[in-house]
Amino acid sequence: MLSGVPGVPGGTAPRILLVDDDSNLLVLLADQLRADGYEVATARDGDEALRRLRTSWPDLLIIDMMMPRMDGLSLAREIKSQADLPIIVLSAIDAGDSKADLLEEVAEDYVTKPYHYPELRARINRVMRRLGDKVPRQSLVLGPDLTLDLHRREATVGGTAVQLTPTESRLLYALAANLGQTISTETLLARGWAETEDADPSYVWVTMRRLRQKVEIDPNKPVHVLTVRGVGYRLARHGEAELPTRG
Amino acid sequence: MVDPGSEPAQSRGLSFRSRLTASLIATAVLPLAAFATVVVLADALSAGGADPTFGRLLLFAMAVTVLVAILFSYLVATDLTRPLRAIASAVDRVSAGDLSTPISVPGDDELARLADSHNRLAADLDRRDRQLASILAAIVEVSPRDGVDFLVGRAAVDAKLAFDLVDAHVSLGNPALYPAMEVVPGEMRPLRAVLRAGDESLGILVGRLPPLRPWARADQDLLELFASEMAVAIRNAELFAQVEAQNAQLLELDAAKDDFLRGVSHNLQTPLTSIRAYADQLGQDRPDRRLEVIREQSERLSRMVRQLLTVTRLESGALKPRSEVVSLGTRARKAWEALGASDAPFTLDDRSDGWLAIADADQLDQVLWALLDNAVKYGLGAPIDVTVEPDQAGERLRLTIADNGPGIDETDRARLFGRFVRGSERGPDEGSGLGLFVSRELCRAMGGDLVLEPPVDGRGAVFSIYLPAELAREA
Repeated sequence: MLSGVPGVPGGTAPRILLVDDDSNLLVLLADQLRADGYEVATARDGDEALRRLRTSWPDLLIIDMMMPRMDGLSLAREIKSQADLPIIVLSAIDAGDSKADLLEEVAEDYVTKPYHYPELRARINRVMRRLGDKVPRQSLVLGPDLTLDLHRREATVGGTAVQLTPTESRLLYALAANLGQTISTETLLARGWAETEDADPSYVWVTMRRLRQKVEIDPNKPVHVLTVRGVGYRLARHGEAELPTRG
Repeated sequence: MVDPGSEPAQSRGLSFRSRLTASLIATAVLPLAAFATVVVLADALSAGGADPTFGRLLLFAMAVTVLVAILFSYLVATDLTRPLRAIASAVDRVSAGDLSTPISVPGDDELARLADSHNRLAADLDRRDRQLASILAAIVEVSPRDGVDFLVGRAAVDAKLAFDLVDAHVSLGNPALYPAMEVVPGEMRPLRAVLRAGDESLGILVGRLPPLRPWARADQDLLELFASEMAVAIRNAELFAQVEAQNAQLLELDAAKDDFLRGVSHNLQTPLTSIRAYADQLGQDRPDRRLEVIREQSERLSRMVRQLLTVTRLESGALKPRSEVVSLGTRARKAWEALGASDAPFTLDDRSDGWLAIADADQLDQVLWALLDNAVKYGLGAPIDVTVEPDQAGERLRLTIADNGPGIDETDRARLFGRFVRGSERGPDEGSGLGLFVSRELCRAMGGDLVLEPPVDGRGAVFSIYLPAELAREA
């Protein structure tokens, strides 16, 4: 993957629909993405984007948050109501904003303007990789005391809602997509920190420890997020915790 | 009937009954006894002890008469005092709180009338008791959240129920607009009570009492008490509604301000995004220091826009940093590279030794940019030394930035972290004066702190960032 473009079922170049009201940016970003091997279509506003969706579906959408007439949030909701297409939001508003929080429930990722192209590309690749992971949009019940709602970045632990950070929910997403199976620390590292160049396994360890403190009743005796020593981690299936563990 | 022995009179000597019995005996028996004594004495003097049988018979008859008189006296006294005892025990019950059992005294004499008037008194007391109870219940249930209109309607209904009125109505406004009406005997009696809260009259409660129903001073007092309690409740509701309206307005203004700032941010960042991206692209095709400058300066401008937004978010508490794993040393190096001040010497001594900071990378970048930017500006070209090490005290990492410049004046040290403060003597200034203020607030919001270290000769200004940290190990 020299160009950083992941393979897509069908073997063709991934198609991206770019929606932004700033024509300068539209041209430039389309150029940058095409140079990296993506097939890019553009739309100047929400209506045009929806019209384009009627003729063909892209593999991913990049949407500006602030646009005249239909804003990014409304557009993202409209698209998600039609099809579960991955969406990356591009916005001048930083991620600490309440409006950004709303968007993160709908969109897969969030990139702040002015964007740094290599970082944007890393995030596109991560979202595309995740396409293969099929995690239901409904909440995932893992036991009597743990329910995950990854699309809202929320866990319900013993009846109490706990907010997850974006990285924590990305790791859980990767684990939940392969429920019961061990995921290597390297894979988790790639999923959690695609745009952090020098991240190392210690990032995964510390994040897992913090995650356990959030979702396990007794973080020292985890029953949901389990360590496979020297390999990685796995998320226990519902009911697995009650069964006697095999040697 | 209550046992007469429980009457309190008993304890204070002879009871009324005993005294009545004694006086009846005295009035009935004493003349008879005197008469009999005279007869016996006269007989004895005239006959000279002629017939002892007659004397004995007379004495016997006298004794029987006395006994019969005592018995009758006792019975009469008991009968006469029974209504009195009934009344006494009823009054006791009333004072013990039982208003429901009337006294029944047959006949039409003075005692029966006394019993009647006691019964009426008890019934009045009972009625006022119930009125008071329903008034209290009505007052307790009142909440300022109910709203003025609801309370006005409710006050009328409660008054009608509590005082058993034909109708009741509450009007807000000047009570003088509702003059007192004349009381016509045999017709419904008009009632009024001013809704008074403190010195202020809010309105009036008017109602009508069924004909022939008694209405005493005490009833009027109770009605006025009710009216004034309702007036207080209505005033509270008015104040509450005012506060609510103000809150709603503030929220609206706040939302409008947020929207405005988003708009400003968007409108400033959008062109900067293009500028930066085009400079990037051109720089890739044909490396040029001038393109670097464009990129750096556009980024700098974009950071300043963000800093302004961050201040307003910090003020409104809308900024909620995320706790993610961050390598402090790496973050500092990247921040330095992004700053583009490559001409100043920079050293990074990372001794974090397996400790990772827990912080919001975006917000941390803002802090690092601001501090490094200051170090370049005020260090006047001296080398900038950054050190990362675990804090001895415990689960924290400390990042120290020393600019090795002239340092900070004593006068500036104290006010350095204020808003819009710029170093007075510290050389050229291009900042917003918000950098240190925002940085310290951001560090605190992330559970850490930013401090200015005490001056050490030759090291210039030394700032330390403290952040919560964890020791990395597979777990």
